[in-house]
This record gives sequence, structure tokens and C-alpha cells, in this order.
Amino acid sequence: MSSLHRTGLFGKGMLGFGYAFLYLPILILIIFSFNSSRISTVWSGFSFKWYIALFKDDAMLNAAWVSLKVAFASATVSVILATLAAMVLTRFRPFRGRTLFGALITAPLVMPEVVTALSLLLMFTTVSGFFGTSSKGMLSIFLAHVTFTMAFVTVVLSSRLAELDKSLEEAAMDLGANRVKVFFVITLPIIMPALVSGWLLAFTLSLDDVVIASFVSGPSATTLPMKIFSTVRLGPNPKINALASLLVMLVAQAAVIGWYIMQRQEKRRLRDIQLALKEG
Amino acid sequence: MAANPEAVRPERSAADERYVFIDDVTKEFDGFVAVDDVSLSIRKGEIFALLGGSGCGKSTLLRCLAGFEKPTTGRILLDGQPMNDLPPYERPINMMFQSYALFPHMTVEQNVAFGLKQDGMPKPDIKRRVEEMLNLVQMVKFAGRKPHQLSGGQQQRVALARSLAKSPKLLLLDEPMGALDKKLRSQMQLELVNIVEKLGVTCVMVTHDQEEAMTMATRIALMDSGRIRQVGTPDEIYEQPTSRFAAEFIGSVNIIEGVIKDDEKDFVTIQSAALAHLIHIGHGISGFEGQRVNFALRPEKITVTKDEPADAHNKAQGVIEDIAYFGSHSVFHVRLPSGTRLMAHFANRKRWASENFTWTDKVWLSWGDNAGVVLPA
Amino acid sequence: MNTLKRWLNTAKSHSRWAVISVPYLWMLLFFAVPFLIVLKISFAYQVVAIPPYTGLLELADQSVLMKLNLTNYLQLMVEDKYIDAYLNSIQIAGISTLLCLLIGYPMAYTIARLPPTSRNIALMLVILPSWISFLIRIYAWMGILQTNGLLNKLLLGIGIIDTPLRIMNTPLAAYIGIVYAYLPFMILPLYANLVKLDLRLLEAAYDLGARPWKAFLTITLPLSRRGIVAGCMLVMIPAVGEYVIPELLGGPSTRMIGRQLANEFFVAGNWPMASAVAIVMLLLLMVPILIFNHIQGKEMEGRLT
Repeated sequence: MSSLHRTGLFGKGMLGFGYAFLYLPILILIIFSFNSSRISTVWSGFSFKWYIALFKDDAMLNAAWVSLKVAFASATVSVILATLAAMVLTRFRPFRGRTLFGALITAPLVMPEVVTALSLLLMFTTVSGFFGTSSKGMLSIFLAHVTFTMAFVTVVLSSRLAELDKSLEEAAMDLGANRVKVFFVITLPIIMPALVSGWLLAFTLSLDDVVIASFVSGPSATTLPMKIFSTVRLGPNPKINALASLLVMLVAQAAVIGWYIMQRQEKRRLRDIQLALKEG
Repeated sequence: MAANPEAVRPERSAADERYVFIDDVTKEFDGFVAVDDVSLSIRKGEIFALLGGSGCGKSTLLRCLAGFEKPTTGRILLDGQPMNDLPPYERPINMMFQSYALFPHMTVEQNVAFGLKQDGMPKPDIKRRVEEMLNLVQMVKFAGRKPHQLSGGQQQRVALARSLAKSPKLLLLDEPMGALDKKLRSQMQLELVNIVEKLGVTCVMVTHDQEEAMTMATRIALMDSGRIRQVGTPDEIYEQPTSRFAAEFIGSVNIIEGVIKDDEKDFVTIQSAALAHLIHIGHGISGFEGQRVNFALRPEKITVTKDEPADAHNKAQGVIEDIAYFGSHSVFHVRLPSGTRLMAHFANRKRWASENFTWTDKVWLSWGDNAGVVLPA
Repeated sequence: MNTLKRWLNTAKSHSRWAVISVPYLWMLLFFAVPFLIVLKISFAYQVVAIPPYTGLLELADQSVLMKLNLTNYLQLMVEDKYIDAYLNSIQIAGISTLLCLLIGYPMAYTIARLPPTSRNIALMLVILPSWISFLIRIYAWMGILQTNGLLNKLLLGIGIIDTPLRIMNTPLAAYIGIVYAYLPFMILPLYANLVKLDLRLLEAAYDLGARPWKAFLTITLPLSRRGIVAGCMLVMIPAVGEYVIPELLGGPSTRMIGRQLANEFFVAGNWPMASAVAIVMLLLLMVPILIFNHIQGKEMEGRLT
């Protein structure tokens, strides 16, 4: 890039300010998780005691386990449904009700969480009113999470499928593979990275959700965000600081690994290009 | 280089004449007619080119042959078998895609084996056939590579091997040289024709590049707005265009508008406001006196001289307005007294520019009795 | 042979509909139907029963009567607490979006002009915080903004202020929280747009005598309009319905519509009212969404012709 297009001090300054704004609160959170005092703003010595307390908090651990189970199951189902939906949106001939289909699939993206939450809650109560059973709990959260994460995953997969060279699928068909086979042998392996990132997206969205889970879940199931929410409503809590620090470290680790893999792939790609050019 | 099927197969049966038979095929998309009532017979073993600009319907017609599009009306027969209701995966037709469409997650070997695997061929047979095909395109040592580890030319060879592996009755080539740079193009054109001829496979190709069609194909169908404008061998299309469109699409041409003055059995004259003399044609044509016509004259058929040619029927004097230098020859743009500009080729036989013509020189243009073609206006 | 073919054809079209119907039915069942239920309940009366609302249809004198209760909607239009909540939501979401744009645009612009190798890392640093739980990122501000929190300690220490500022449990805290939580959503579309800008256009502008600042205003800014609109949508829409941030940071004085809805449902137990609040919130959100679609649609048309 020519020097003409470098940004000036103002831009660099804003970038620095932005990063500080994004990271300082998290940094402070981590530092104070090692604070031995209960009062979160007074430093009174280094200690691991909040971490120990965290791992002795059965309710918290249980909530984390519930969250992981729900996130895993809902992300998996969500990716399967979203793959079907994305195939319908990008590969199928127009059919009756196609417009409604597209609208239904993407509408949760612009739906405020509280509205989604309320409507699902009202439906679950109506249904359980019919059958006289209590449908609240983990199943409700699972169903709700599949529904709202599916929209996001569908967008990811649709855009991947839309940019996929259609002649790859046509070539496979031309060589004798029927539609089902083409999907499993050609399409699916090629969009696998998008499927993985779609799954991760659904997983994190589910792990992160507090509003919808709080609405639809009954007393029988508490997810980690619900537990955190009810705890921090009462004010800062050093145990939550410890939990937050653990989460941050986990994410940071994942990021470093992800970056490393990306870097390696990039290097390999460059090597391959050179290889191809040399023999041209 | 263009293949000569007459030499390969001296006699052809009627069935071979109509090996691929496209019968009144029309394809509409939401009211837009992409292919308009096209009928074509393609001979067994020939390389047939569909030539035309973008949006002329050539690609749609090719996709109808492959089975990706279903003709709105009309039939497609291959070796006497109706193709219309067969999905692409059941047709004995294979295609080499413009983008090559090599499966990125498979090696070269797996790509070539893909079609054979779909047919349920036993593994050892597949292995043998893949090796044979890779040998044919000289890619054996790249068998373990992934497509992105290959150059453009290598990818094309793999794509060709993959589409030939199943010994299709018909091979389709979609803009076969479209993704290659110019230098590689002429080399690969030659190679592709050699391989296709060696296997004797019938081949339909689509291209927008007239040079490519002329060098590779035995016959060309020139397409425009969904219709076939002319079918013929490359030299027929070039030397005997049947319409102004055909004459102008391939190569460069001077079009002189005029009216038939004398319509005799063995000669015709045309009067044109562009020229002082009548245009003299040395043979009869199917026309009538007073008919408005276009006289098409290729620039290389015109002779440029300093002095008035004594024996020519057809001549005109003018001033050189522009010179385009191409090395081997130059193209003069000569303005006639009527204001008409004609292009004429001049072979650069001498090395020194001072011995050649230059701007504002007065020159004489002349051409023979059979140099041009009379086209309906 | 023919019957076999026909059977195969119907099987084929059945499998096509099977693929369509699985996600379709799911979304009808878990999205469309719940929404219709909300719509229905918003026209009902609150009663002390299970469920705590009346049905819309009544059988009386051998005729079916449909009773639509409009008082919920009327209340929304006249009662101050609802009008305040709606106006507050729009104001807080709008100003937060503007702040995000003002901070996010220079950041996105600077990242887009970094050398390609450091660009990815810079972008990753923007996205990374949003991988950490939303709730925890909001929680992080509680310790900072408290009256005896770090920010006040810092300001008092430097001597800028004499008495601690009250930020926590005020709308200002909600602003900070929303800008903090949604800033990445603004930067991403802006970056995606700015990085694609053809730098030769700027060179052409310089060549024709435009100074950098002028070239920015006349070339870069207009061409990044799509990114700006997309970023604003991504921030504005969830911010209007935000529940967690006003609840944790804004305190009782920050009346936003998401909280109002939750209060109607959980505190007042008024399901019909909560439903009406939800419906009106959606109607409000339709305005920016339609504007967005309109702009996008117009640009599509412009490109086609």
C-alpha cells in the first residue's frame, strides 16, 4: 500500500482508544478476580480464594453443565436444520410459500430478544395447558435456542452456498452422481468449514443467551448466564470475577489456536501457489 | 490444425450424420427466449463449435445438451436415443467446465476417478483407467496433488481427463480456453484437438472467440439472439458468409451498400454511391435488378498500388488516412472521394518504412471479380 | 416401465418437499405460531385464572362472538410510563448508535488501511471481546462505574472532581454499556465496506486536486453508505429491545421498553399487556427495517439498470 493511503495520527489514536475501551474493563475484571477482599474495588492482596470458592459452588457448576448440554444439543440440531434451509434458499427452484419461508427463516435476526422470549414462553404455556404437562425446563430452552440460532447459521451457510461455484455440483452430476450423492460427496465436504463456524456460532449464541433462557425456563433448569444474571443483579461478586477470568482465558486460548491454524494454512497456501507457478 | 474428419472417416452413414440431433429446440426463461427454435445435426467424430457473443444462447444450448436445462420445446437425440427426460447423471455425455470445476477437496486422481466410481466400476479397473487418462494428458506425476496446487494449464488437463474418463458418447467443452492466458491458449488448443481426435470422441464446444473456433472446430454454428445464423466449415464461414452479421462477426470486412444494376447469368454489376465505378462480380447470383444489397469485401482481398491498375474491373482511388501497423502487414484506412473509408491490407515485404506508403499518399485500390460476396441488405 | 418412472418422479418430488418442510414446519411451529399467540393475547383481558387471560371467542346464544380488547393498546398510547419507555428506548438506542458510529468509523477506517498482514489481527482484536460472555462484559462495568468504583477513584485521585459522580444506575451507564457491547457490530460491516474501497478512486480525486479531507468527504464517506446503514441497523435494532443492560447498569431510572415488557409479565402478571407492548415494539422496529430495505432495494435497482 502506498504511503498516500496510510491513516494519520487521528485514526491511530482512535484505534488505540477503541482497543483500550474494549479491553480495559476486561483487564480490570481479571485483576480483581485475584483480590483477596470481598469489596471488588479495594485491592487488599493477591489470592486464589475466589477460584476455589467458585469450584465449590455446586449451583454454579450445575448451571454450567446445563448450559453446555443445551448449547451442544441446540447447536447440532440448529446446524442440521439450517443446512436444509440454506439448501432450499440457494439451490431449490421457487415453490409456493417460498417468500414466507425466507421471511420466517431470517425474521429472528431482527426480532428483539424479549419478544422472541415472550412469544416462545406464551406458546410453551399454551401447549402445556393443552396437555396438562409442564413443558418448561431444559427442553424449552433447547427448542428456543434452536429456533433463534438457526437464523444466524442459515445466513452463514446461505452466503457460503451462494458463493460456491455451482459448476462443481453440476460437474459431479455430469459425471453420474445424483442430487443426494452430490450433496453428501461434493457440497457438504466443501462447505465443511462454514458448517463448523456455523456450529460454533450457534454454540456461543446459546451459551451467551440470558434473556430467552430466563423467560422460557422454569425453576427446574438454570443455565450459567441465568445464574450469573441473578447473582450480579445484587451487585459485584468476586466469584463472578473469577468465572469471568476463566472464560476470558478460554477464549484467548481458542483465539491463539485459531490464529495459529490460520497462519499455517496461509503459509501452506502460499507454498502451493509458488509450487504451481514454478511448474506452470 | 483444424481437424479433417473426411480424412479420418472416408464414409459416413446417415445415422453418423445425425449423431447429435437437435430438433427444433427452444428454451425460454420467464418469457425470455434464450434459444429460439434451433435445429442442428452434428456428425459423429467432429468437433463442432457454437460461436457467438455473450447472451447469444450458445451456453444455454450446451447446458440443454448436458441436461442442466430442459428445452421448453423440441427434442435432443444422441445416437438415436432421446435425451430430454434423462437427468444429467444418466446421460452418456460429459462436460469440461469453463472454470474446470475440479473438486477442491479431492486429489487429481480422485477427481478423474469420480465419474467411474459413480458407475460402480471395480476398483482395479478404475485405477487402470485413471492412469490411462492421466497418461493421455501427461499428468501422471501430479496424481496426488490437490487442484489448487496446479497451474491453470495443468488444471485444464485434469478437467479434460476427468470428462473423458467415462468414454462419453459426446464431450462438451464450455469456453475451453477461457481461463488461460493467451500464450498458453494456442498450445493447449493444439493439444486438446490432438487428444480428442486420437480418441475419436464427438465434441461440441462453446466459444465467443472466433479464432479459437476457427482453429479447433471442423464446423461452426454462428449464433445470434438465440438463433443459428450460419453453419459451415471455418473457411465457408469466413469466405462465404451468408449475412452481413456473419461477415462482420468473423474477421474484419468492408461493407459497401449498393443496388444491383445488371443481373446476368455469368456476371453481375452493382452500383454504389461509394464508388465511382460499378462493382463487377464474375458470376451469377440469385438476385434481381434494382435489389438493394451489401457487398462484403475482406481487406486482404484488396490490392494497394501507387499507379492505376490497367486490367482491373474493380478499382478506386483514395487517400491514406490512417495506418495501423501489425508487423507482418499494415492496414490502410483509405478515404475515397465519396467519403467512404475502405480498409486494405498491405504486406510489409520491405524493411524500410521510407519505401512503403505513408499518410496522405494517393493510392489505388483494386480487387478481383470474385473477391467479395454479395449479401442481401 | 411408465408406472415405475411415475413412481420415481413422485418419490423425487416427495423428497424435495421433505427437505423443504422440516425447517419450514419448525419455523412455523416455533416462530410463526408463538407470534400469533402473542398477537392473540394482546387483544385479551387480564383475569385471575390459569392461563391469566380471556379467550377471544365466546359461544353465546348459539352464535360465536369475537371480543377484541383494545384497552391494552389504548393504554400504551395514553399512559406516561409506556410512552416514556418507548421514547426513552428510541432515544437511548439512537444516541448509542450514533456514538458507536463516531467511535467505530475511524477505527474501521484505520484497520482497513493497515497493511494486509496486520489487518486480520487488528480485526480479530475487535471481534475477540464479543466471544466473551455478553453478560460478563456488561458486569465488568459495574465495578468500574459504581459510586465507590474505579472510575470515581481515578477521577478523585487526579483531582478532576471533589465528590464522586453518580453514573451507575443512571441512563449514562446504559449508554456506556450499549456502546461497549455493540461497538464490534458497528465496526464489522463498516470495515467490510471500507476495505473494498478502490483506492484508485482516491488517487483520482487527489490527482484532480482534492485535499485528503475533501476526498474523504466526497468519495470515501458516500461510498461507505451501505456499511454505515448496515452497522447502524445491527446496533439500533437490538439496542431498542435491550433488557439486560438497562437492568444491570441503568437502574430504575432507565425506563426502556424491554424492561417494561418483562415487568408487565413477571411483576404485574399482565400477559395481555406484555403482549401488546411486544407488538407495538415490533411495529416501531419495522420503521428502520423498512427504510433499510428501501435503501438496499433502490441500490439493487440502480445497479441493474
